[in-house]
Amino acid sequence: MNTTKRNNRSITKILGNYSFVLIFACILIAYLIINAGATTLNGVMNILRHSAVVGIMAFGMGLVIITGGIDLSVGSMLSLIGGIGVVVFNSMNSIILTLLAVLAVGALLGFFNGILIGKVKMPPFIVTLATMLIYRSVAQYYLRTLRLSIYNMDGTLSAYDPFYKFGQYKVAGLIPMAGVILILVTVLMVFMSTNTKFGRSIYAIGSNERAARLAGINVEWTQVAVYTITGLLCGVSTFMWLAMNGSVDPATIGKSNEMYAIAAVVIGGISMSGGKGKLLGVLFGAMSYTIIDKIIASMGLDALINDTIKGSILLLAVFIQIAIPAIRAKFTRSR
Amino acid sequence: MDILQMSGITKAFFGVTVLDKVDFSVRKGEVHALLGENGAGKSTLMNILAGVYTRDAGKIIFDGQEMDHVTVQSSEQAGIAFVHQELNLFNDLKVYENIFLRKELLTKVGTLDKKRMIAQTHELFRELGVDIDPTAMVSELETSKKQLLEIAKALHANAKLLILDEPTTALNNKEIEHLFGIVRHLQESGKSFIFISHKMTEIFTIANRYTVLRNGQMIRSGEIAEITPTEVTKLMVGNSYSDSDIYTPRELGDPILELENYSGHGFENVNLSIRRGEVVGFTGLKGAGVSELMQTIFGVMPEAGGSCKVMGQAVTGNRIHKAMRNRIAMIAANRKENSILPDFTLLENNYVSEHTLSAKKPLIRKKMERQKFERLRGMLNIRCNGDGDLITSLSGGNQQKVILARWLNTEADILLMDNPTQGIDVGAKSEIYKLILQLAQNGKTILVNTLEIPELQKVADRCVVFYHGNIQSVLRHEEISEERVMLAATNAINAGEGAVGQ
Repeated sequence: MNTTKRNNRSITKILGNYSFVLIFACILIAYLIINAGATTLNGVMNILRHSAVVGIMAFGMGLVIITGGIDLSVGSMLSLIGGIGVVVFNSMNSIILTLLAVLAVGALLGFFNGILIGKVKMPPFIVTLATMLIYRSVAQYYLRTLRLSIYNMDGTLSAYDPFYKFGQYKVAGLIPMAGVILILVTVLMVFMSTNTKFGRSIYAIGSNERAARLAGINVEWTQVAVYTITGLLCGVSTFMWLAMNGSVDPATIGKSNEMYAIAAVVIGGISMSGGKGKLLGVLFGAMSYTIIDKIIASMGLDALINDTIKGSILLLAVFIQIAIPAIRAKFTRSR
Repeated sequence: MDILQMSGITKAFFGVTVLDKVDFSVRKGEVHALLGENGAGKSTLMNILAGVYTRDAGKIIFDGQEMDHVTVQSSEQAGIAFVHQELNLFNDLKVYENIFLRKELLTKVGTLDKKRMIAQTHELFRELGVDIDPTAMVSELETSKKQLLEIAKALHANAKLLILDEPTTALNNKEIEHLFGIVRHLQESGKSFIFISHKMTEIFTIANRYTVLRNGQMIRSGEIAEITPTEVTKLMVGNSYSDSDIYTPRELGDPILELENYSGHGFENVNLSIRRGEVVGFTGLKGAGVSELMQTIFGVMPEAGGSCKVMGQAVTGNRIHKAMRNRIAMIAANRKENSILPDFTLLENNYVSEHTLSAKKPLIRKKMERQKFERLRGMLNIRCNGDGDLITSLSGGNQQKVILARWLNTEADILLMDNPTQGIDVGAKSEIYKLILQLAQNGKTILVNTLEIPELQKVADRCVVFYHGNIQSVLRHEEISEERVMLAATNAINAGEGAVGQ
């Protein structure tokens, strides 16, 4: 009697904690059914590749949201980092220097957000709204001064071919490079958030900032660090973008990515009020959205319906997260 | 003539009687001091009068009218104004808007007649002798001005009886003088006051009569002129005794914490030398500065002057982390806001502080952390299912023990405890005090800030009494008694001789 009660509760509890797996599984099954015969292993693996850019930056967004903040500038960072990345590549003809440049610029842009939020104590929403406008605009304006319409990597350079090949490379002929990087970032982030002291202090701040401070945590610098890491991850995203696409249109690259990243975080079960949630969910959240793109493409629907479905999935995900605990509470009370 | 007569007022919360057939009356045109310790029933009585609570039994006659069902509105309409300790003003509105709230004057076309409202506010302030700009934002006013504004607002609403609940807590002496001047002036024009305060100096300066409550009962009522501060204090405290059987004198070590002319927000020129293994009780009324002193030592609030030495080494620069490196820990007041990490398990709540000290080793070793928590759990007798429980699932007393464990885990030598038994039931309270003695036995130095003097009697080697940000007196263990502490904390010592307070 007692054990069944406990089992029941733990099943609903698991559903509540891992609702992202449920959502992902439903969407994946829907995709497999709709796509029926046309499904290939390659096609499934491509989900990873197409989740990489948003997925990697979404991990930064996840950390930020766990501290109780928000970062609206991630999409625009992609634009500015990408522009600078192309310029550095074209003048240096070096993959390594391009990698270092995009990482450094990303960290710097994130650091700027972090200082204003952590040290100056400005509201994260406002700061990153402002830098969202600034970062993209700078990328576009600089391009205009070059009298160009997009940042194009010079295909005649000797480093171009290996860089492009890196972007298209498949490990064991199966797993796309971008997917590998995404998995690596996932492993690293999940490890950091669960097994390091720094990771737990991020959760502590989101759980009760005042108590975290009085417990000795350096709240200000932890916040700076979290926004900097987000910038750094945007750098990684940009690097993968460059390797896969070879060019950057600063007006459109990463447009609405901040919203998709937030959605991936929320679908992943991380609470917008901070302090709660698993970073692993971010991976599933990001992949869920990629599959929706694929479903729409294979059904031959107009791409404009895309956001309607994505928005609905987001509502559904949050509904499940809110409704399941409420139902659970009702059940335990009635017993 | 009595303007207010309350007779046989009885009130119980969840079966616990907090007011037992209390009689209380106020004469027209007097200042009546309502006295009693925390929990004596003063607030409950006043809240019944103001219509916040309903009485279980008893009769209220105000201004010749019997009041049957008192609601906040009917009490206000009858002419009773409750000037609360935490002021009920709208900070984001202007001064005159606060006064005319829900009673706004309108022009013929139905828009706000700001001119007339401002002019009337001017007039009101002039009569009162208050210097406030009617168009200023309330948020920009000093606390004393807000207090006066609240009184002015009550008068504008035609209040006949004003309840002042500890009105002087946030005021300096000059502002208190000003407030008293206004009270006297209003008294002459026939207004009556109920004055709630713990400060004897003020009570003997301003009040005409007094009523003492203790444990929900009316003890005595009479003329202020016929009683002394010492007698009042005795009436408030009663014959409550305490068993100090758990206290045993211990050998104390060398001085570990030395404060010299230490000053900060809310306290100044504190000189104290505390020895290793000592338990020092700190007490004082709300706003006396003890909590601020602890927060400043711990680096939460900035220091303003003087020095704080730990084991002979000066601690400079206010940083919590620095204090922790000097082996200081603070169990903050208001556990829920300042200590609890609600989304964390017991284990996580336990290790969070120690991890900021050992951040150079970035990885968490779960097994070791578990062992550490297990040891502390046994030592502090924390009752829980396991270290994976959320801290919010525990009772208040057990939560506080987890917070204590958090700091013992940092191996701090000096424990600052700010009101550690807040919101904890009686059993857990005595457990915490036993732990304090046990820890002191093991060489920890403990500073406890509490208002519960019987508890201090049980554990403290010394008791430091604060009044208005200064050390009023330091009592040795044998000297600690509720009466002596209250005499010092309320400044009754100086009030009796007619000396001007402080």
